[in-house]
Amino acid sequence: MTASPAAPLPTREELDRLLVVVAAQRDRQAFALLFKHFAPRLKTFLLRSGLPAGVAEELAQETMISVWRKASSFDPTRAGASTWIFAIARHLRVDHLRRERLPRAGGPDMLEEEDDAPSGEALLLAAEREARVKGALRTLSDEQAAIVRLSFFNDKAHSEIARELGLPLGTVKSRVRLALGRLRALLDGET
Amino acid sequence: MTISHHPSDETLLRFAAGRLPSGPAFVVATHVSGCAACRDRVAAFETVGGALLEEMPPTPLAPEALARVLAAIDGPPRPRPGERRRPEPPLLPDGHALPAPLLVCNLGPWRWFGAGIRVSRVTIPGDPAARLNLLRVGANRKLPEHGHAGLELTQVLSGSFSDRLGHYRPGDLAEVDSAVDHQPVADPDGECICLAALEGEMRLGGLLGRLLQPLIRF
Repeated sequence: MTASPAAPLPTREELDRLLVVVAAQRDRQAFALLFKHFAPRLKTFLLRSGLPAGVAEELAQETMISVWRKASSFDPTRAGASTWIFAIARHLRVDHLRRERLPRAGGPDMLEEEDDAPSGEALLLAAEREARVKGALRTLSDEQAAIVRLSFFNDKAHSEIARELGLPLGTVKSRVRLALGRLRALLDGET
Repeated sequence: MTISHHPSDETLLRFAAGRLPSGPAFVVATHVSGCAACRDRVAAFETVGGALLEEMPPTPLAPEALARVLAAIDGPPRPRPGERRRPEPPLLPDGHALPAPLLVCNLGPWRWFGAGIRVSRVTIPGDPAARLNLLRVGANRKLPEHGHAGLELTQVLSGSFSDRLGHYRPGDLAEVDSAVDHQPVADPDGECICLAALEGEMRLGGLLGRLLQPLIRF
């Protein structure tokens, strides 16, 4: 969401197109561009998820290998490249934690299920949803955005988040509810 | 099938983030596989994950990372261990098919859990300690009154039950948090089969519960 200091960030459409080209033509140059954009962001994401640096590095690489292998199942009418790649990284992280026998997070991988065929309008709808989500995240207050981020980077339940933020449990619960209510309203297109 | 009870937004967000413990995650997956509204919600939250990934400041990878990845994509795909679906998945006791997310799991024998109640332990591949159970509750039978140390998620697979918070039919998910004590009762018209997971310990109430507590690791 922030502008890069050097080159302008590729747009959503460019990233989607690169991924489609990787799938259709097994184009290594397109893949290298995707790698350049996503691998360092995946590494940060995984680091913030609480993984040690070596593991974050390894899973960022593994995610990119999966991106190459699974590229043909990428469907830009269902989700943009960043969402699709996020879901792969999430799955690999859960897999890794299981292999480590740390029964923390788990669960089946939702995005990998083949769903019904996308309609003609679906592409627009997916793009619109992404735009709306990004808009919604910008509109949340700093605290609300922090709460949403905590849900992604933290396994902790309310009680532990409360301790971390130094707030009473009831306060955290109602703030989480408010933040998600606000996010939901924004996603549903209300204001 | 009209679904009137859904997981909370917080639970769906934790699910989409890959941050629910695996027991509750499988209950939510079972609900989501039958609920278009929650599928949309999860898709929206996954988009939040994508947006967060986009806004991450880059951390440089090892200098040889791209070369290693390019070498790996030339090789044969690494076989994924485990998690293979069995050729003939077991059916639920009422003859219904097992929900798709459970096909990778192992189901334990049906064990007695009080009058008219049986429990089958569901083992999740790679996470043998996760607490996930199938419950069969006879018509009009009550579960022991209980509270929770954490979240309790119950997905109705067939039949129906009620507690003081609502009435739950197939496809419904009852989400109860630690503040609540409740006593679910199966409705009179037949057996109720549910999939249930707890995030923390269950605290049983009543005399029966106190007697059962040491015997049962629910």
